[in-house]
Amino acid sequence: MKGHDILYQIDRKSGMTVPENYFSDFNTRMASSLPEQPWEHETVKVMPRTVWQKIRPYVYMAAMFMGIWCMMNMFSLVHPGNSPAAFSDNPVLMSAINNDDFYVDYCYPVVDEDYIYDQLYEDGIDPADFI
Amino acid sequence: MAFSENNNTGLIARLRDPSTCRQAFSEVIRQYSEPLYWQIRRMVPNHDDANDLLQNTFLKAWTSIENFRGTAKLSTWLFKIAINESITFLEKERKRNNVSIDDEATHLLHAIEADGYFDGDELQLKFRKAIAMLPEKQRLVFNMRYYDDMKYEQMSEILGTSVGALKASYHLAVKKIEQFFTESD
Repeated sequence: MKGHDILYQIDRKSGMTVPENYFSDFNTRMASSLPEQPWEHETVKVMPRTVWQKIRPYVYMAAMFMGIWCMMNMFSLVHPGNSPAAFSDNPVLMSAINNDDFYVDYCYPVVDEDYIYDQLYEDGIDPADFI
Repeated sequence: MAFSENNNTGLIARLRDPSTCRQAFSEVIRQYSEPLYWQIRRMVPNHDDANDLLQNTFLKAWTSIENFRGTAKLSTWLFKIAINESITFLEKERKRNNVSIDDEATHLLHAIEADGYFDGDELQLKFRKAIAMLPEKQRLVFNMRYYDDMKYEQMSEILGTSVGALKASYHLAVKKIEQFFTESD
């Protein structure tokens, strides 16, 4: 007979037994025979929470928001130009926009496309040759 | 009896509270007396010794319950105590009977035959003897794995041995049992 066959044949039953009602009797007997422990009669003192302990999380949260607000203000002081200003508040820009020469010089297309085509046809060149 | 770990979070919390500790420990006894008993019983030859050792296990656990932090599983902690108790008992018995560690198996075989609480057949008795022939640690590993169906990881926590070594030990134990049956046929 092979060992592995034996492991399957035994089927985890050892054949060992205990007296009748052993475990229930043991549990009762054991629980009642536990000796007294000195710490069993110690009462756990629960310290009441102070007002500060109660409000502390809210204070910390308020301080955090104050910090963020101060930080944002500090940045706007360091870089005042970063704040969005109205277009009309800037006299340089306004004078440039109101000046027609500025518009013609910088905004109007310098070379008209139709003008280039006309020039090409006049010179006998077909623009389709370039496509 | 296959061993299964229960969720003991609530029980551990009550064990830590001095006002509910005693009642919670009674629950521990109810929950663990049987698996611990069988673990001990398979190590020692008879019921009376197993009964004494089970009592000692719970007494030790009760007196040192303050030291149980709950970081380890409750079952692991209890099994450790039970196994230490069993090993210490076997050592004491060897010294008391003036038996060497090599002759322990023979001594155990006689004790097994004299055990009054056994109703198994001849095959089961032979199997019990084959297990008794194993060295102490191998016997422990075999019992935990074969009878309790315990995971190697939990065995490793209890015995403080690596999973690899435990697997090898179990394999070796099976081979020796195989050999015992082959030679006796």
